[in-house]
Amino acid sequence: MDPLLLALWGFTTPAVFLTLLGSVVIGLVIGAIPGLSVNIAVALAVPLTIFMPTEQALVMLIGLYGSGIFGGSISAILLNAPGTPASAATIFDGFPMARAGLATKALRISLVASVFGSVFSIALLVMLAPQLAQFALRFGPVEIASLLFFTFLIIGVLSGGSLMKGLLSASIGMALATIGSDPMLGIPRFTFGSTSLMDGLTYVPLLVGLFALAEIIEEATKGFSKTAQKVELAAEDRAANRITRTELKMMGVPMLRASAIGSAIGILPGIGATIASFLAYADAKRSAKDASRFGKGDVRGVAVSESSNNAVVGATFIPTLALGIPGDAVTAILLGALVLQGVTPGPLIFMTAPGIVYTIYFALLLSTILMGVIGYFAVRPLAMTLRIPKIYLMPCVALVCVAGSYVARNNIVDLFVMIGAGVLGFVFNRTGVPVAPLLITFIITPPFEEALRQALTRSQGSFAPFLTNPVTIGLALVAILLVLLSARRERALAARASAEKAADDGDAKASEGRA
Amino acid sequence: MTSTRRTVLSTALGLGLAAATGLSFGLSAAPASAQGWEPTRPIQIVVGFAPGGGTDQTARLIASAAQELFPVPLVVVNRPGASGTLAAEIVANADPDGHTLLVGGGSESTSVPNHMETNYSLDQFRGVARVNREHMVIVTKAGSGLDSVEAVVEHAKENPGDLAYASSGPAGILHSAFLVFEKEAGIEMQHVPYQGGAPALAALLGGHVDLAIITPGDAMAQMEAGNVNAIATTSDRAPQIPDVPSLSELGYDVNLENMKGLVAPAATPDEAIAYLQERFEQAMQSETFATLAERANIQPGYLSGQEFEQAMSDMSAAIREAIGERPEGN
Repeated sequence: MDPLLLALWGFTTPAVFLTLLGSVVIGLVIGAIPGLSVNIAVALAVPLTIFMPTEQALVMLIGLYGSGIFGGSISAILLNAPGTPASAATIFDGFPMARAGLATKALRISLVASVFGSVFSIALLVMLAPQLAQFALRFGPVEIASLLFFTFLIIGVLSGGSLMKGLLSASIGMALATIGSDPMLGIPRFTFGSTSLMDGLTYVPLLVGLFALAEIIEEATKGFSKTAQKVELAAEDRAANRITRTELKMMGVPMLRASAIGSAIGILPGIGATIASFLAYADAKRSAKDASRFGKGDVRGVAVSESSNNAVVGATFIPTLALGIPGDAVTAILLGALVLQGVTPGPLIFMTAPGIVYTIYFALLLSTILMGVIGYFAVRPLAMTLRIPKIYLMPCVALVCVAGSYVARNNIVDLFVMIGAGVLGFVFNRTGVPVAPLLITFIITPPFEEALRQALTRSQGSFAPFLTNPVTIGLALVAILLVLLSARRERALAARASAEKAADDGDAKASEGRA
Repeated sequence: MTSTRRTVLSTALGLGLAAATGLSFGLSAAPASAQGWEPTRPIQIVVGFAPGGGTDQTARLIASAAQELFPVPLVVVNRPGASGTLAAEIVANADPDGHTLLVGGGSESTSVPNHMETNYSLDQFRGVARVNREHMVIVTKAGSGLDSVEAVVEHAKENPGDLAYASSGPAGILHSAFLVFEKEAGIEMQHVPYQGGAPALAALLGGHVDLAIITPGDAMAQMEAGNVNAIATTSDRAPQIPDVPSLSELGYDVNLENMKGLVAPAATPDEAIAYLQERFEQAMQSETFATLAERANIQPGYLSGQEFEQAMSDMSAAIREAIGERPEGN
């Protein structure tokens, strides 16, 4: 039989299907727990797969991976605590929506967007994997450094009102990112002789602290409300929580762009889903005609963040399958699991084991569909979490924060980082300093420094490659164009505002005159 | 108190594995011990890398194969960080009572302490048993013209500092292997570190560096696809790629491997070491171990504790010598 049909036939076996179902559910749950990342789930599942048939093993690992990233958005929306780092950008609009009683709607949008992003990247994987992988290989240190330098520009977009406060936040993030081993020489920086700090701070505890713990402290200052929340999921809210046709239309183009951004980031090594979701968020906010609702509960904010991070999932399989080089930590573990199954992953896998490739395609697609179905029914009960009085809910969240920060590396330092970040986040919230720029610079700085210094090692310290590289020049032109455009728009807005003000003043004077 | 949650997870996993392999430590009879030392609580096998990686696989493999010989559970604990040195530091300073072991023999044992200051040294460990060895294969990009060690050395001598090699990170075993090769061949190349072996291979395939070191399994797959030339191994010939010569055959005195095995804190009593060594040796001769190792594509390489210590200190000395001749931090 054709390997394609054979692979599809494999999914009709009850054992394979039930494994897929089970792993999608477990992935959702683990993803939703802040700190318990998808990587841990997949890594711990590998030894269990040794004695399974190949299909069942693959289905288990892939099911965990895809649904885990969607699971992360659940806690981001409901608790202000991203379940996975990739869902951090979902918080910006997801949590305000939940506060406004639109939790169900936010979760639904997240689900739709996740499925959309997954399908988009799976389509790319199936159709263009070899070509895209070859293209990605051409991205060397110079190109990656330029691309990351360009992403620093989004600090401006994420800063909200005050650029000064945004830059303050960004510089703290950058300073924190320099803790740890120097990427080129391995010499420790700001570690004070502690081996625990050699790898620097990681972003799970930072993220959990900045968002979740900061929120707990905020609630603590209000003395924790003991009454059930007024988030009614009754009849009148049913209508408000339905996604309207206009909203779908409004989200369509941004989701498409976000999925493209996510896929592009997923193909490149070492950048990751978290940067993808921030980039997509900034892109959507910048290109929106009316961006005033962003950060206050705009449906597009949730949609772009979730579609881009799920698009990364399919895209990381592109270098993994086409080149035999894993796109991220999870696909690296997956490659290891393939070896256990007696399959040599590598560029020839399409010829030597086409059945495996098709099984991976179908597992990705089916797990996305199952995630959609399970998610659809789970959304309303999940939203009920918000009805739990804060005095009971918050201690549980705090417990999860502590456990989640610790398990990622079994390193006690991470616990202190989480607590410190929580206090910092609280201070930031009270003083109106945005948290997002800190996070984004913290995440971008290490790969940027690595790529920059790799490039400079190759050119023996000369910056010339940056001035002659077509990618660098292209990105620089786009950057200049963006700055000019936004400056023009600012001026237009200012002009309109002053015109309106003048008109108001005119009216006021006129009425005074009449009086 | 170490990882509560992780220990629970690992224990569950260990149990799962044991069940899967048809073993059960509850029922098994441990060989009678004449030496008078018996473990009294679970034995921790500390892994310096994240779950799912090569070192972790080795740990879980030996733990599940040896479990039936022990009256207490063998628990794999992951303490990833700082290229495995965090875990090494923890075990070097742990109670030397035979209940804490490290999966050592790789970068953290033979390489890193020669490059920088660490809070432990190789002689703070005693060997228990070497479990496996992994060959390292030097590769160049296909079509680059660098299709043999001779071609590389010739090019490097004519254009000093022109060739660049990718490593999996500064101070790691791959970095050291290139340093020793450079010294033996009397050449100088640029070092470009990447975060791990996979990005290093990607950089080679993209033409951003000229040389990289990969595993024989990866080398085989990439050679079949016509992407790389495997020019030499850094020890003896690897069974997966028997046509690739070793550096020593070619006249370069290099003998480095990525080894994995169990080590204990140096002050661990002889009776405890003897007890552990006897059981792990027996485990490695078992059917279970052979089956698991074959499935995991792990090349068994048993050495007794003393031989393992010797192998580690030989490699460490070769690396130290190569670094000594270079300026600081290179």
